[in-house]
This record gives sequence, C-alpha cells and structure tokens, in this order.
Amino acid sequence: MPQGDYIELHRKRNGYRLDHFERKRKKEAREVHKRSQVAQTALGIKGKMFAKKRYAEKALMKKTLAMHEESSSRRKVDDDVHEGAVPAYLLDRDATTRAKVLSNTVKQKRKEKAGKWDVPLPKVRPVAEDEMFKVIRTGKRKTKQWKRMITKVTFVGQGFTRKPPKYERFIRPSGLRFTKAHVTHPELKCTFNLEMIGVKKNPNGPMYTSLGVVTKGTIIEVNVSELGLVTPAGKVVWGKYAQVTNNPENDGCINAVLLV
Amino acid sequence: MSQGFRAPSSFALSAVSAFWHRFSDMVQYNFKKITKVPTGKDFVDIVLSRTQRQTPTVVHKGYAINRIRQFYMRKVKFTQTNFHEKLSTIIEEFPRLDDIHPFYGDLLHVLYNKDHYKLALGQINTARNLIGKIAKDYVKLLKYGDSLYRCKALKVAALGRMCTVTKRIGPSLAYLDQIRQHMARLPSIDPNTRTILICGYPNVGKSSFINKITRADVDVQPYAFTTKSLFVGHTDYKYLRYQVIDTPGILDRPFEDRNIIEMCSITALAHLRAAVLFFLDISGSCGYTIAQQSALFHSIKSLFMNKPLIIVCNKTDLQSLEGISEDDKKLVEEMKSEAMKTLIGQGGEPREGAEVLLTMSTLTEEGVIAVKNAACERLLDQRVEIKMKSKKINDCLNRFHVAVPKPRDQKERPPCIPQAVLEAKAKEAEKEKKRLERDLEEENGGAGVYSASLKKHYLLANDEWKEDNMPEILDGHNVYDFVDPDILQRLEELEKEEGLLQEQEDDEVDMDVEDLTPQQQKELAEIRKKKSLLIREHRIKKSTAESRPTVPRKFDKDKKFTSERMGRQLSSLGLDPSKAMERVRSKSRGRKRERSTDHGGDDMNVDDDGSNKKMRVRLLSRSGSRSRSRPPTDVVVPGEGFKDSAQKVKAFKLGKKSVQKRNKDARKGEGDRVIPTLKPKHLFSGKRSNGKTTRR
Repeated sequence: MPQGDYIELHRKRNGYRLDHFERKRKKEAREVHKRSQVAQTALGIKGKMFAKKRYAEKALMKKTLAMHEESSSRRKVDDDVHEGAVPAYLLDRDATTRAKVLSNTVKQKRKEKAGKWDVPLPKVRPVAEDEMFKVIRTGKRKTKQWKRMITKVTFVGQGFTRKPPKYERFIRPSGLRFTKAHVTHPELKCTFNLEMIGVKKNPNGPMYTSLGVVTKGTIIEVNVSELGLVTPAGKVVWGKYAQVTNNPENDGCINAVLLV
Repeated sequence: MSQGFRAPSSFALSAVSAFWHRFSDMVQYNFKKITKVPTGKDFVDIVLSRTQRQTPTVVHKGYAINRIRQFYMRKVKFTQTNFHEKLSTIIEEFPRLDDIHPFYGDLLHVLYNKDHYKLALGQINTARNLIGKIAKDYVKLLKYGDSLYRCKALKVAALGRMCTVTKRIGPSLAYLDQIRQHMARLPSIDPNTRTILICGYPNVGKSSFINKITRADVDVQPYAFTTKSLFVGHTDYKYLRYQVIDTPGILDRPFEDRNIIEMCSITALAHLRAAVLFFLDISGSCGYTIAQQSALFHSIKSLFMNKPLIIVCNKTDLQSLEGISEDDKKLVEEMKSEAMKTLIGQGGEPREGAEVLLTMSTLTEEGVIAVKNAACERLLDQRVEIKMKSKKINDCLNRFHVAVPKPRDQKERPPCIPQAVLEAKAKEAEKEKKRLERDLEEENGGAGVYSASLKKHYLLANDEWKEDNMPEILDGHNVYDFVDPDILQRLEELEKEEGLLQEQEDDEVDMDVEDLTPQQQKELAEIRKKKSLLIREHRIKKSTAESRPTVPRKFDKDKKFTSERMGRQLSSLGLDPSKAMERVRSKSRGRKRERSTDHGGDDMNVDDDGSNKKMRVRLLSRSGSRSRSRPPTDVVVPGEGFKDSAQKVKAFKLGKKSVQKRNKDARKGEGDRVIPTLKPKHLFSGKRSNGKTTRR
C-alpha cells in the first residue's frame, strides 16, 4: 500500500468503526428520499435537465427489468404472417395485384414527365426574393437601390473573381461562402467532409443556380475521390451529386445526402 | 579559497550545509495542487451552465438587429473563453515531464507511460484550438444574421459543436484525472536534499530499518514485495534533516524483464544523489542465498557510481558475520572491495574497511544507530566537499567569519578538569553495579513480604537514634510545629542580636549618666538628627550616582556645577583634573554657534578675534560628540558580513531609505520638483511702457 493511502492504512490496522456498516446502509437508504426531494424542488433549467436525465434513467431501468422478467417458460407463439400469404379461400384471386402493378407504372411515367426526380427531398419550402436578397443603398446620397446582397450561403468556384465593384449587382459576402460540405452516404450511414465542385440545381429557380446559392434542397456536386468509388468499367469516380438537407445559413455548415 | 578560511569544524560544516539549504532550489514537488479534471459530460455541464448564468438571458424579436447579434455573439465568445480557460489550466498544471527533475520524470514515465501521458495532454490542446476556431467562425457568421431565429440557430450550432469536441476528449480527461489522483499520493521526495537510499533483495529488512530510525510506519511482513512503492522517512543527524527512502526489493533479472515496482527502485537509484545502503541478509532467512544477493550487487553496481556506498549485513542475531562459510566470506569481501573503490574514488583517504561494511540487527537494535551515523557522516562529507569545490561558495564566503579571540600572551590555557572527575571517569569502567533496594527486596522474600526500612539513611548526630519513634504531641503542643532544621543557627543569631542591643543600651546609658545641661542635650539631639539626615542623603546619592547625573539641570539653575568648578575642587584636593574634565566635556553637547559678526565693521575686536576664533573652532570640533572607536562607513570589518565596501555603503543607504516616511498624502515630493521651462518667455521678454527692464 503506498505511503499516502492513510484511509486504507488506518482501516487495515484498526478496522472499521463499530457502527460503520449500519450508518452506510442507512445513508444509502436515505438517498432515495433525497433524490425525490431534489426532483420535486429543482426549478428552471436545472429542473429540466434533471428531469431529462431522470427520464433516461427510468427508461433504461424499465428495459432491464423487462429483460429480467422474461421467463424461460414455454408459451404459445404467434408466428409472423408471411408477406403476401393469402388465406385458403382467397387463393384464386390475383387480378387485383396485377392491376396494382399497372397503376404503379403509370404513376411512375407521370412523375418522370413532370420532372420529379427521385431525391431524398422532393419538395422544399420556396424562398422569397426579399428573404434571399438584402437591398443595399449606394450612391452619394444613398438613393440608388439596385445592388443586392445575398443573405444565404453561396458557393463560388475556385477561379472566381468579382466583377468590378461599381458594376456588381449581386454581392456575395465572403463570410457566407462555403467550399466544403458534410456528405452522408445513405447506405453506409457515415458522413464525410467533402469539397464542393459546384451547384447543379437550386429548386428555387435558375437565377439562384447561376448565382451559386445553396439552400435546402439544392443539388450540389461533390468531390468523392476520397471514397474511392470505381465504376464497373474500371474508371475512378471523382464527382457525385448530393442534395442539401439543412438550412446552411442557420447552421453554419452544409449537410448533404449523397445521391447514389 | 580565501586566505582567512581555515579547515572548518564539523559544526561549521553543518552550518554551511544548513545555510546552503536555504538557498538551494526549493521547488517543492507537490503534485497535490493540481485541480480536479472533470469528466467530459461534467465539463460540458459546467461551462454551459456558467454561460447561462453569467450572460444576459432576455432577448426579444423586436430589438434592433445589432443588439440581437451582440447578444448571441457574446454567448458564443463567453463559452469559448470558458472552455479555453479550463482546458488551459489542465494543460498548465500537469507537469511537463521534460521540465521537472529527471528523477520525477523517470518515475512518472515508469508509472504512467510518458507517451500516453503526452498524447492525452496533446489531445486536450487540440481540443482547445478547435474550440477557438469554431468560435471564430461562428462569430463571423453571426454578423450576417438578420433575424432572431437565425442568430439563435447559429448560436445553438456553435455551442453544440464546442460541446461535441469536448465530449470526444472525454476518455483523455478521465485518464488524466486518474493520473492526478495517483500523483497526489506519491511520497514527496525532494531530489536535491540529503538522501539515504536503502536497496537490496526483498525481505532483507529494509523496511524494519527505516521504521527504526524514522517515524515512517512501513508495513513489515514475512512475504516478499511487501513494499510496493517508494517510502520516505526523515531523520536527524547533527542538526540536519535527512530523508531516508525505502525502495521495493529488486530481484536479479535482466533490465528488460523488470516490472514497474522494481523500476521504481532502479529510477530512484539512478537519479538521486544519495548515500546508498545495500542490505545483505547473511542468515539467508529472506529466501535468497548470499551468492544471489552478491550477484545482484554486481549487476547494479554501475548505479552506485559517485555515491557513498555502505554494505550493511542485517539479521546478525540469527547468524553472525564471522560464522558464515568461506565462499560466502569471499563474496562479502569482493563486495567490500567494490565499495572501497567508491570510497577512494570520492577522494577520501582509505580508512579501515569498517566504514564500508557494517553489521546490525534490526530485531535487537544493535548497530542500527551506528549504520545511520556512518551513512549520514559520509553523505555530509561528500556534499560539503562538492559544494566547496563549486563556484557558488564565493558568493557566500563573505558571510562566514570564524571569530577567534586574539591571544593576549603566550601563556597556555588548556581546559581545566578537576582531578576528581578524571578519577571518576577512569573508574567508570570498573564500576560495579550498585545494590539497589529492589534487589534487597527480591532477596528477602519479594514485594508483599519484605517492607523496606525507610529510616535507614537518616543523618543523625548519633546513629542509635535511627530507629526511635518520634513523639507527635509533647506537653500539649504539636511537635511538628516546632521542628525546624535551622533551629540552632537561628538561636545563635538571636543571641547575637540580643548581645548587640544590650551593648547599645549600655552605650546610651553611659551618655545619659553624664550630667548634661538641657541646652547641651538639645544640641546633642540636633547633632544626632543632622547626622542621621546626612547618612540618609548619602545613601540616596549613592544609589543613584551611576544611573543619573548627580545634579539634574533643573535643580542647578544658577549653573554652579560647571566643569571648571569640578576642576578647581579636584585640584584643591590635589588631583589632576585634566582627564576628568576631558571626559566630561566630550559627553556634553556643544553650545549654539553665535551669530557670526560682520567682518566689515569689526576693527575694534582685533585682539579678541584670534582667541574667539580658536575657542569657536575648538567647540565646534568637540560638538556632536562622536564615539571615536567606530571606523568610517566604507571600511569593511570581517565579521559584519559584507562582501566589499560598495555593498556596505549600499546597505547603509537602503537602511536610511527604509526609515523615510511614506508620502501617503500624495503631496509634492522631492521627485516632483520640476521646472517645466527654465526660461519662460513671459518672464524674459516684453517691453515696458514706462521704466527700465534691468530686472524683472
């Protein structure tokens, strides 16, 4: 025992107090009442945090209790019904299924015609122009109002140079320019921080696509050479599309889902 | 070495060491001061609740956008600052293994693995930097926030990211907290002070030895490896404190196979400059033969370089050193010769081997103190020698001064020891044991049977009276009230007094027998009264003559008691007054200088001028009575402790400065007297409308 362990040394030489175990037991029994008092009297943010923690504990406790209560005795077991299993008196009828298939193909054709692609976010909230642009007053007397500043996150390519400031109509502030996106692979369920190559399509309109605005639902192209994907032909895939799933201007980062 | 420095006595040596101890590197290796490292979750909770409590909490949608932005930016910055602060304290408080003493560096490496430790601290450092970057980015983004919702969402994102970073370093934090707890319990070993190290095989008696000489209560058990870590105890020798370190036992194994416990002792041996006591169990009751122990000795003897080494043979109560076999004796001799080599290497004269090989037994406690003294002595000698050779001594040399009284004449004055004491000392060896009362009691039947006669040693005029019973009441009086050991002496005194009184009465009676006329009687009474008054006066004067001047100034308004008067009286008595007058004059303060007369209009005092001047000069030189025996300020007297005259002058200056009153009212002081312009224009230029400008 090291020299500094006074408590253990004392215990080793002199043993425990005569009432040590009794007191310990009673103190532990009192903990329950103390905890309930804390739970009832804690107010404000403390109370909320405590309640949340306590709820998680209780859920876990319930699960473990249920696990313990599982008995190994035999019970009547209800087997799952097979998908597509039909009761005996309906065995002959299969006309409806074929009709279903036909209707599905028709629906798909219609969707394709409408241009609705199979993306994770088919519909997004439209962004109004006054939400997207902020009017900048210029001129000696600040009366000219033809400049606009983009208040959303944008992507500009690497070789981007601004137009001369006097003629620049749309201002893309450098603080809101992002180059990287956090892209999640839908099957692997893991996220990578990949460089963006460009903005493919912004659902709010072609103007925003040309400006490079990245909002929720925008299709962007990312550099996936990191992932090491290979085509069946043997070529290395280095660019793939991904769709943005969050509001980048509110979160400070671009989260996207890879379109496989 | 300076010329005035003689070979110091042992007391002076210990004084030197004590002096140096004050000035040596006193970094206390106190790892107990490291603050607790919270777990990942707790860390997040602490910082976030701090942000919530210490920043404003209320913000509304209708506020000006700048105000909303500021509100949220403040929260982000505040959280980042808190994280930074707490992580920085962790990084700074944990010791850097390269910056501390190599003994501790190695010990911590052995116990905790240097790489893991550094990695954990490195992770904390990167986390701190990451959090800083996050805060910077989000504060930049917040500047573009145009609505409350957007700013709030950005703040939530920033704080969330910071907390994720902290949660990721959770395992490192837990590891560091465990290390901290263990480090706080390490024994506080000062690597620079006097140390004695005890090493040897397991179970040879190292812990028993340290228990005997210090107050450290180390566990002593019959199984090996009872001591699993380093233990420290402190002991005193020649007014100095030594720390004694007990190490776990070392087995004879190749270096790579050693476990952590053994590595602790190896580390201590390697890095501490200490006196080493190698313990040898000559009885073999530890389970290892002398051959095995000797093999261990030879394998680690490289660690004993430059250290005073003493081989201690323990457990002599079971087996004495002479009784061991020939081979074992040879091995022991080999070890002794190795140890002697270190002794010679130290530069000491090859003394007898007794200083290097000692025997003792911790059970019967014989030889324990001798071992301790030998080790302490050797260590002290070595340390003082090293310090003498180093350069540091020159700084302190001026403070040492061995004062030796100047011999008055050539007469030898050796210490005077009475003859009786010398004889008694010579006889002490053959003194036989005194027969105690206890022995007498035992002989005559034991405690309950024999009752000692307490009157045996009475000192009486006649020895036969010893056993007599003393009466308690005599003639109705209590005898003990009248018992007094000095009664005969008292009786003598009383008789003497009575005799005197009788004489006095006789004298007086003689005087009264003569026929005195009432006038003569009156005169006689007056004379007697005056005489007694004079006697009383004289007595008072006698008592105060040394402490006060005989005639205080307030009673001598007429200034009768001048030194001239004294001179005159002395010369009338026939004594030479010059020395007395000189002494008196040197003690008096000089008179105030008279106003200097205008030499321009003083032709009348031509004759007295010279004498006046001379007298004035004499008075001035006598005034401000200076003690003539003090040397001037810049002469350095060897016993004062100054290096040279410049230091002495500076010390005096500092002393004077410290007595100066502080200017707490902030009044203008001597440093504030500044003339901003020496020639202000308005005083030196300009015309006058009327008059001249010869003076302004």
